[in-house]
Amino acid sequence: MSQPILNLLNLNKSFGAVKATSDLSLTVMPGEIHALIGPNGAGKTTLIQQIYGAQKQDSGQISLNGSEITALSVPDRVKAGIGRSFQISNVLMDFTVMENGIIAEQARLGQSFRFLRPAFSDRQLIRGGKAILERVGLEKRAEQRVGDLAHGERRMLELALALATSPSLLLLDEPMAGAGPEDSQRMADIIEGLRGTVAILLIEHDMDAVFRLADRLTVMVEGAVIAAGTAAEISANEAVKLAYLGGEE
Amino acid sequence: MSGLSQFLALAGDGIKANRLLWLLIGGFAVFPIFTHFADLPFWNDVAMRIMLLGMAAMGLNLVLGYGGMVSFGHAAFIGIGAYCVGIGEFYGLTNGWAHILLGMIVCGLMGLIIGYLALRTSGIYFIMITLAFAQMLFFLFVSLEQFGGDDGMSIDRAEFGLIDLYDPLRLYFLIWVALALVGLGLMFIVRSRFGVTLRAIKSNESRIEAMGLEPLRFKITGYVISAVICGLAGVLFANWQEYVSPDIMHWTRSGELMIIIILGGLGTLAGPLLGAIVFLLLEESLPMLLGAVAPAYAENWMILFGPLLIMVVLFGRGGLVGLIATRNQSTSNQKRGKAGQ
Ligand SMILES: Nc1ncnc2c1ncn2[C@@H]1O[C@H](COP(=O)(O)OP(=O)(O)OP(=O)(O)O)[C@@H](O)[C@H]1O
Ligand SMILES: [Mg+2]
Repeated sequence: MSQPILNLLNLNKSFGAVKATSDLSLTVMPGEIHALIGPNGAGKTTLIQQIYGAQKQDSGQISLNGSEITALSVPDRVKAGIGRSFQISNVLMDFTVMENGIIAEQARLGQSFRFLRPAFSDRQLIRGGKAILERVGLEKRAEQRVGDLAHGERRMLELALALATSPSLLLLDEPMAGAGPEDSQRMADIIEGLRGTVAILLIEHDMDAVFRLADRLTVMVEGAVIAAGTAAEISANEAVKLAYLGGEE
Repeated sequence: MSGLSQFLALAGDGIKANRLLWLLIGGFAVFPIFTHFADLPFWNDVAMRIMLLGMAAMGLNLVLGYGGMVSFGHAAFIGIGAYCVGIGEFYGLTNGWAHILLGMIVCGLMGLIIGYLALRTSGIYFIMITLAFAQMLFFLFVSLEQFGGDDGMSIDRAEFGLIDLYDPLRLYFLIWVALALVGLGLMFIVRSRFGVTLRAIKSNESRIEAMGLEPLRFKITGYVISAVICGLAGVLFANWQEYVSPDIMHWTRSGELMIIIILGGLGTLAGPLLGAIVFLLLEESLPMLLGAVAPAYAENWMILFGPLLIMVVLFGRGGLVGLIATRNQSTSNQKRGKAGQ
């Protein structure tokens, strides 16, 4: 068996009396789509924050491709191969879609520290920026201001920006939340298309999407893993039904 | 060869895209002709002051307008630049080019130190820390008795090789060249990869981190560049004023620079210069106006200026430059609309 992309070992994180992550261990394998589900407040976002480096765990280990990354800053973890979309969409709102792509492209090329040539009219950057947008089918919206985009399109743009750094692990925090049914479907198709090329840790409340997309699922309640396995195993799991799925069906 | 022609092509594009800025800078180049024939030499003096404060405001605008960092202590860099002239002359350094070099280097280093420490904070804390550093420097110079303490020290205009600043208009055009170079430099910077990254950090710092970039590096670099520009303005300011005292870095001047930028247009190239022109012309004329109506209030021209500033901020979202741009846009839209019918 190959080495996991992401390996979490006995992770703990508390906010005062709230145990947001409780002795949590989890692995994500190369190329798999790994869904992380659980009720509101289960600690899913907090877990992603720790993997991403925006919050520090109280104890436990996080390794990416076999090396411990706890000491790395957010930008360094991105360079090490982590890409992310946020629960609340996080794009460059004051710019056009194309400009978002261009800024991502120049960052990808490591050219952001140049002072002379105008960036937004640079042919090479425009070509690269366009390629970034094409991965999610947003190139037709290139000249739109991001502020004028539909919510679902913003989520798509955010995914494009996250993919721009060619991550080996993609952390997606509810990429379909707030998007209309059509955009959700498109987003699911795009994620489906990524299977095998990048490992994805996917937080999602839409169970149809989760069961369609996930190779494996981990179920979290109150900071702890209560079950892990394939879609079939999880939907048959009594504890999960009781704690989580039961409420919906 | 091709490098130079490429550079000129880029500069040409930039100048076309920033007509207002170059119209203003060009205006300053021909202004002395006007004052000569109208016999108003006093106004050359006003124009120099406008160019100096405009230049400093353009420097501050790089961090304030483009980078979203509300630095409330930039007058300190003007002061450091000015004291590089005063203290330099005190120790026998009379060469003006050396003053400029020294002022820019010292301001760059101070900008690096202050930026490095202050940029770890943001929002109100950043404002307060930059103000605190500026106040510290202010009181440091107040306490330095050998350099005049709070009385300051008088300065001889520096030696610039063949240029004798005591000849008419030499200082005027030295300041003008500096202004044009600052305008040219900033024009390149804000459109460059670095410049758009700085603007993106203002828009959403966490997305820039998510692209694998360290925002602090860009912010500090921007801060240093802006400090260096203010330092250059300070060196020239000392030569213009022929005198330097801690007053030059009083916190109210930092506030003045911010008012100038907001009045003219935050995050625009022409805004700070236009703001400086309007602000200083009002500063000259409002007291006279007020003096004619109610002499007792002539000193308090801010009573009139305050509401004016509020109106510009409320009605012209992007300051005076924003007002001009919206007008141009609506007229060109009208034209386009007619053409379409
Ligand atoms: N910065 C914080 N300070 C204090 N408590 C926090 C903080 N962040 C999260 N929490 C708490 O930690 C718990 C887990 O929150 P988290 O946002 O990770 O849940 P989640 O599973 O992502 O929920 P949702 O599905 O609603 O997004 C919650 O009880 C939350 O209130
Ligand atoms: Mg969450």
